[in-house]
Amino acid sequence: MDGLEPTAKQTELHQSLSAIDTLTSAMKSNVVPNQEYLLQGSILDSGVDILLHRLRGLCDNTDVGLESFHDHEACFVLFNPAAQQSQPLTLRVRKAVDDTAAPWHLRYMGQPELGDKNRPTMVRSVLDIGVGSDIVEFLKELGCRREFDFITKGFIFRKGRLKIIVGKLYRSEAGKAPHELEPVSGSHYVEMSVVTPTGQDIVGEDMRNLAEQIKPLVNLDKVDHRRLP
Amino acid sequence: LKMSSSVSVSVEVPLENLVQEITYDGMELLQQPLTMSESLAKLAQRIDFCGQDEDGGAGSGSATAGSSNENGDIKEEDANGEGGPDANFKTAQSWPWESVRNKIRSALTELSVFGDILTIAQKKQYMVLDPVQADPSDTKPPAVLMYKKKALQAASQVLLSGCERLRASMNEAKSRPSLATLDFHIELLRLRQNWRLRKVGNAILGDLSYRTAGSRFPQGGIFEVTKAEDDSEDGNADSQSTSSQPQPPPPKPCSALRVTVPNELQGIAYIHVHVQKDQDTLSFANIGLPAPAPLDAHWQQRLEAAQNVLFCKELFSVLAREAVALHSMPIPPLVVGNQITATLFPGILLIIGLCHSITGKGQSPPAVSSKLDHNHVLEHSLHQLLREVHRTNSHIPLPHPATAPIGISRKRRLGGPCAYDRQTLLNMTKKEGILEEIIKQSQHVILRLRAMYFLDTLAKEIKDPLLVAHWASINAVTHSCVRITLVSSGYDMCARTQLVIHIKEKSLKAILKDGKAINLSYEPQELKDLLLCQIAIHQIMALQSLSKCLGWTVLSSCTHLGVGNCESTGNAAGCMLTSPNGKRILAVRSSPQAFMPAPSIQVFIGYPPNAKYTTQQNNNNNSAIPMEVDDVSAATTLGFEGMDLTAGVKYKSIRLDKLEGKNFLNKMEMLMAVLADVS
Repeated sequence: MDGLEPTAKQTELHQSLSAIDTLTSAMKSNVVPNQEYLLQGSILDSGVDILLHRLRGLCDNTDVGLESFHDHEACFVLFNPAAQQSQPLTLRVRKAVDDTAAPWHLRYMGQPELGDKNRPTMVRSVLDIGVGSDIVEFLKELGCRREFDFITKGFIFRKGRLKIIVGKLYRSEAGKAPHELEPVSGSHYVEMSVVTPTGQDIVGEDMRNLAEQIKPLVNLDKVDHRRLP
Repeated sequence: LKMSSSVSVSVEVPLENLVQEITYDGMELLQQPLTMSESLAKLAQRIDFCGQDEDGGAGSGSATAGSSNENGDIKEEDANGEGGPDANFKTAQSWPWESVRNKIRSALTELSVFGDILTIAQKKQYMVLDPVQADPSDTKPPAVLMYKKKALQAASQVLLSGCERLRASMNEAKSRPSLATLDFHIELLRLRQNWRLRKVGNAILGDLSYRTAGSRFPQGGIFEVTKAEDDSEDGNADSQSTSSQPQPPPPKPCSALRVTVPNELQGIAYIHVHVQKDQDTLSFANIGLPAPAPLDAHWQQRLEAAQNVLFCKELFSVLAREAVALHSMPIPPLVVGNQITATLFPGILLIIGLCHSITGKGQSPPAVSSKLDHNHVLEHSLHQLLREVHRTNSHIPLPHPATAPIGISRKRRLGGPCAYDRQTLLNMTKKEGILEEIIKQSQHVILRLRAMYFLDTLAKEIKDPLLVAHWASINAVTHSCVRITLVSSGYDMCARTQLVIHIKEKSLKAILKDGKAINLSYEPQELKDLLLCQIAIHQIMALQSLSKCLGWTVLSSCTHLGVGNCESTGNAAGCMLTSPNGKRILAVRSSPQAFMPAPSIQVFIGYPPNAKYTTQQNNNNNSAIPMEVDDVSAATTLGFEGMDLTAGVKYKSIRLDKLEGKNFLNKMEMLMAVLADVS
C-alpha cells in the first residue's frame, strides 16, 4: 500500500514544482540584480576623442582596445485600460546590429527612487531579460504599441563592475544603409551604470569617484527625467 | 464826360493814435505817440542777452552800445527807485532798462575782476603766479635699461647660486667612489619604470604581486624602498661586517637604493615537475630561477626573484587545492607537504613539488641527466595555465547589446533565449582545473615518448620492410600524429603500406590505409602487435604487386588466414600465386610472430600433381627447388588443367635464408623469375 507514504515519483514531482519557490526565494534574498545606479551626462562631438582617450586610460582591459557597439532599440508601451490614472508600462527591446548571434535584450526600467538628496547617483529598479528575436511579435500580441525606436552607436568601457557607455543617437529609418545614419544631435551621451541587487549603496561612492576623474570633460550627474521638457 | 486827370492817391501812415479814452463830452483823448526815448526803451526791452537770437543780438548790440551812454546816469537814479521784480523778466519790467542795466553791470564786474587779477599778477607784490610742471609721462630710455639690467642681475644671481650648489654636490659625489655616478633619484626613476610604487606617509612602498593582472592570491607582495646607507669606506671590511663568518669584503653596493622584500618571498623558488616510473625518471622540468640570487644583487634581480617566488607559491597552492578536490581520477592525487603526487598510468607517477630555499644557496636540482628534450613543454604549460586563469579573471567580455548586464559569459547569455535546462547550465560552469590539464599533458608526453621509443627500436631491429616514421611537426599539447610507412628496400614504388597513428592522452588510434580505425589503449604491447601484423600484411601485399609486374597471377589472398597454426598475436596473412605458364604455384604465409627473430614467412612451391622430381645433388645449395624437372614437363604440358585433382598439388617448402636476395621481395622476385622459366 503506497497511499500514506509519498512515492519516489511524487517526491521528485514535488521537488521539481518548487522551481517557482526557488525563484521567489531568490528574489526575496537579494540575489537577483534589479537595482540600477545611474549617472548621465553629455559631451559635444568635438570633445569625444579626448574623453575616449581618458576613459581608455582609466578603465580595464587596456590591451584589448576600444570596444564599439551598434544597437537598435525600440520602445513598447502597454496601456492598462482598467486603471486609467496609472502609468503605462514601458518596455525596451534592444538588439545588437553588429553582433547578430547575440540574443536580444528586453528591459523594464522603473521610476527612479525618490530617496535622499545626498545620494550621488540615481537609483531605479530594472529587469534585464535575454530574449529571442520573436519578442517583437510577442509584445504585439500582448497588446503593446511600438512608440519609437532609435539607433545608437558608440563605445563601451568597464571598470570593475561599473559600465560606462559613450554613444550617439541616430534616427532609425527603414531602408537606410548603415553609413547614412542621421544623427539626432551634435553631441554624445555618456552613461555610467551598475546593476546590482538591493542594498549595495556603496557602489554609488565608487561611481562618484570615477565621475570626478572625467569631471572637466563631462559632468556626470543624476538627471531628473520628469523635469526634462 | 471828359476824362479827368489822374487821381492823386495819397498813402499815409495811419498816424492815428489809439484812442485812449473818450471823455463824457465826446472829446477823444488820444494816446500820445511814443517819444523817441520811449520807443528806444521799448526796443531795449526786447534785447535778448542770452544770445539766442543772433539777428536780434547783432542789432540789439549796437542799440545797447548806443543807449548805454545816454542812460548811464538814468541808471544810477533809477536803480533804487524801481525795484521791479527781477524774477519775472518775461513780464513787464518796472523799468525797461533794467535788464540792460543788469547785464552791463555784471559784465563790468567781471571785467574789473580780470583787471584786478592781471594787475596783481603783473605787480608781483602780493601774488606770484608760477607755472605748474606736468609729470614726465615716460622715463628716459637709459633709465629703463638700467632698471631691467638690475632686475635681471638679481634673478641670475639666484640661479647661479643654485647651480653652484648642484655642481659642488656633483663634484663631491664624483670624488667619492662608493656611490659612483648613480643618484638616488635616478635609480628611483628607473625603479618606477619597471615596478608599481606609491608613497605612503614617509615611506615608498611597491607592489610586486600579480593582482592587477587578475590574480586573486591572498598573499600580497609589498616591498619597501629605502635609501642605501653609505657603508663606511674604510679599507678594513671585516670590522663592519655583521656576519659571524669571515667573509671577503662585500661588493660595493651598485645602486643608491635598497629594496626590502617581505620575508616569506625571499630567496628563490621553483616548481619541480617529475615523472617517475618506479625509480627511473622519464621527464622532468624545473620552473624558476636556476641560479641563486645573492642578497645584495641589483634590486631588479631581487624583485624578480621575489615575484617568481610569489608566482610559484600561487601556482602550487592552486594545484594543491585542485588536487584535494579532484575526484574524477581512479586514484586521487596525494598532497603531502610541498609535494603533489598523481598517478598517470599504473606504475607511472607525476610528482609536482615546490622547492623554496631562502638562504640563496639552493641545493641543485637532482642531477638526473635527462636526454629527453620535452621538459620545457610542461614548464611552459604550467606557467601558461596560471596566466590563463589570471586572464579569465580580469577579462570579461563586454555585452552586446550594450545595455545587457556585464559579467556574464557569452554562452550564458544564450541560456535564457535558448531555454537551457539545469544540467546544461551546470555543465557550462564546469571548468577544468590546472592539475587535470597538466596530468593530461603529462600522460600525453609519456605516451608519445613511449611510442617514439618503440618505433625507433622496431625500426632498428626489423630490416626487411623498412619502417619509416614521420612525426607531424605541429601538434597540440594532448594530441600528436605520426605516419608510418613500411617499405621494402628497392621496391618502394610498387609496395608501401601506410598507416597513421594518433596519440592522445590515454589512448592511441591507428587508421589504416583501407580506412579501418583501430583504437588502442595505453599498453605498449598493443601497438607492437598492431605493427607486427601490419608488417606481415605488408609482405603479402608487396608480393602481390610484385607478381603483377612479373606476370604471375594471384590465385587467392587473405590478410587474416584461418588456416595453419594459430598465431600467438594477430593473424597470419597468406597468398597463392601461379606462374604465367601455369606450371608452378607459390604459396606464401606470413605470420606476425615476435620480432626476435624476424617474422617468419613460409614459402611453398606447388607442383602439379604427379610431378616427379629428383632430389639429387641440389643439396649443395640446399635448395629444395627441383630445377630439373624435365620429366615433369611431359606430364604437365597442360599444366594443372585436366589433371586429376584428387591427386593434389604437391607443395614443397623453401628455405628463404638460403635464397639469394637482400630482402624477402628480392628473393621472391628471383624465385618467381626462375620458376616462370620452367617449361
